[in-house]
Amino acid sequence: MNEHRRQILEMLSAGKITADEAERLLAALERSGSSSTNDVSGTPRAAKMKYLRVLVDSDNGGNPHQGPVKVNIRVPMQLLRAGVRLAGLIPPQAREHVNTALREKGIPFDLSQIKPDNLEELIDHLNDLSIDVDSSNRHGYGSEKVTVKVFCE
Amino acid sequence: MIPMVGVISVRHWARSRSFKLWIPLFLLWLVLLPIAILALPVLLVVCLIARLNPWEVIATFWGILTSLHDTHIEVDNRDALVLIRIL
Repeated sequence: MNEHRRQILEMLSAGKITADEAERLLAALERSGSSSTNDVSGTPRAAKMKYLRVLVDSDNGGNPHQGPVKVNIRVPMQLLRAGVRLAGLIPPQAREHVNTALREKGIPFDLSQIKPDNLEELIDHLNDLSIDVDSSNRHGYGSEKVTVKVFCE
Repeated sequence: MIPMVGVISVRHWARSRSFKLWIPLFLLWLVLLPIAILALPVLLVVCLIARLNPWEVIATFWGILTSLHDTHIEVDNRDALVLIRIL
């Protein structure tokens, strides 16, 4: 990373590129660096992330009674980590009950599989997840568009 | 750091009216502290029955409490904007 930065600065000092171009190149370099799993210092990206952001944007299909809805949630990562630790404290008997209830609801999920390591891995891969949901409105006002964005910052 | 203040803000778009409520959570912790100390033996018994490490349970709950700081929830629709912040 430092090598690329030095090359850009050398090109700038040699007059091959303008200051504006150098700035854009450095910005692009920083963007590519931040999208990789580890940064220059080798710190895992998940360790640097402080918040989980969930943004929901719904237009409600032009329903005049409801209007658009926006949800903006910022949850500290520490809270997620503490929640995962809490899941680990659930006694095995109770965990089995929860797993059974989840399976009955069509969610084949095993709570015992939730471990802090899994969370870190998930955060590492959760760069910028965007889900677009397009459904017909239950009030018959055309299609409802919901965009859910989940990312870490 | 445990959360010291909670803020609940509601703004009604139609009535151009809004209110902001500051909840001094530190007072709540002061009230809850003696209750928590009194409940400690009960927690130890529960941990023994459930075969859990009581230190781990206390550390987890303390972790949840301290990590609530900086939580931000905002819901905005045509009628109102509701904002909940934990500081």
